[in-house]
Amino acid sequence: MKLKSSYIVVAVLSVIAIAFPAFLGAYPLNVARSIMTYMALAISWDMLLRSGQISFGIAGLFGLGSYASALAVLRGGMDPMLSIVFAAAFAGVMAYALGFAILRLRSMYFSITTLALMEIFRIVMHNLHDFSGGPEGVVLPSVIFKGASPALYWLCLAGLFLTIGVSWFFEKSKMHLALTAIRNDETSARSSGVNIFNYLLIAFVITSVLQGMMGAIQVQSYGFTTPDTAFDANFTLLPLAMALLGGIHSTIGPMAGAVLLGVASEWLKLKIPYGHLVVYGIIIILVILFMPQGLFGLARKARRERSKAGASHE
Amino acid sequence: MILEVKKLQTGYGKLQVLRGVDLCVGKESVGLFGPNGAGKTTLINAIMGIVKPWSGAIEFEGKSIAGQATHLVARSGIALVPQERELFPGLSVADNLELGAVYVPRGKAIKAQQLEIVLELFPILKERIKQYVGTLSGGQQRMVAIARALMANPALLILDEPSLGLQPSIVAEVFDRLSILKKDIAILVTEQNVRESLKAIDRGYVMENGAIVIEDTAKGLATNPHVLSAYLGI
Repeated sequence: MKLKSSYIVVAVLSVIAIAFPAFLGAYPLNVARSIMTYMALAISWDMLLRSGQISFGIAGLFGLGSYASALAVLRGGMDPMLSIVFAAAFAGVMAYALGFAILRLRSMYFSITTLALMEIFRIVMHNLHDFSGGPEGVVLPSVIFKGASPALYWLCLAGLFLTIGVSWFFEKSKMHLALTAIRNDETSARSSGVNIFNYLLIAFVITSVLQGMMGAIQVQSYGFTTPDTAFDANFTLLPLAMALLGGIHSTIGPMAGAVLLGVASEWLKLKIPYGHLVVYGIIIILVILFMPQGLFGLARKARRERSKAGASHE
Repeated sequence: MILEVKKLQTGYGKLQVLRGVDLCVGKESVGLFGPNGAGKTTLINAIMGIVKPWSGAIEFEGKSIAGQATHLVARSGIALVPQERELFPGLSVADNLELGAVYVPRGKAIKAQQLEIVLELFPILKERIKQYVGTLSGGQQRMVAIARALMANPALLILDEPSLGLQPSIVAEVFDRLSILKKDIAILVTEQNVRESLKAIDRGYVMENGAIVIEDTAKGLATNPHVLSAYLGI
């Protein structure tokens, strides 16, 4: 019964999300797209985090996807929709190749290396003048769907739905056991027959595909990008803050965090145009200090405490 | 023989720990005793592929597993209950047991059946099945660790100091379960608690300074003067 009601909630929320363009104008839809993009990135970041690996490379793969898609259209004459698929696949292939090297690293060494990747991609795009347009970036001949807000919104929503679906699959399948085991204790995971490297590689490639896809959707929706926009550190920092606030190691946590911070950020941007990032910083610090598991982590902890108390009364 | 270790040498960096260890386990329960630092855990780590052997041979069911990746050793049918439990606290009891089975083909094939056997062996886990293992007591966690290892349907179960950090009544319970188990699978257990474990094993080795110094039946060990004075304090 409980399962059924949660399915109904999901269905209702999905229908509302799909129906948004019917009663929202271009500006709110634009805000919604930005929140959905960050939400998808936050979820994808969390998916890899479930294995204990903290990636700072979100912006790198997002930007890579942006450029792969834009350049495929501009230099290769590819269909814009197809270019999104191409960019996602390209990010996946890059992640697969890089994964062989960087997934042998752990903890901060892994994190710092992913951070460096972001810079490397940015610098390459910055300097490949003839191919990537250099610091001025690339301008596409036209925006996908001729820039119709509802269509752009649905495209972004489709990317988000796919991300949520994959994350949900991660939660319900063998991936969940493997990633949690790796996070908790690698030696024990190995001794239980888990091929750690394979699972990390799968998780890294899949999350990179999602991040690249969101980058491609972004560039096709705006019609232009520059190295500084595509590889903007915000694409790493904001999803991270959102996932931390909402609660890590889940799908719902990053989603809730993205809505809260996304709406707050729009409001803050209007109030303090250049200071809103300071507020993000403060939120990250407060969350890490006082609720390292985020909002949903607190709820989960309360539930766990209750189960413990209940068990001792038996 | 289920497990045969021959002239095994290994260590960490330049430090040699095992100096030519010979050990075998048939369809029986074998104890491995010795003081801290004798190399018991290193031997187990070498069998599991966590530490690579320098020289010598490790054969499991007639095939060499020396230097193989740990997850492949586990999949071939050796299950390890590591020292200090090392469970997955972020998972429930049910998920921990599931995890023990799904990555090992021979466990996955008979998962449901194995779960019944394991829950019959440790009835307390049935009551706690939905709880996160982080909320269980030390003794219960040890039982989850053993149960998880059994879910892989192993031919050989290795336990590294299963009594470590447990109160005596629980230690007796753990060894009681092991003596039930030994009818069906081979067991290799390292222990400092020689007195309790002698009740549960058929044969035993005493290891000192990285080499086997005594090999005897449980009865023989119980009357061996060296064992009596060094490990049983008599």
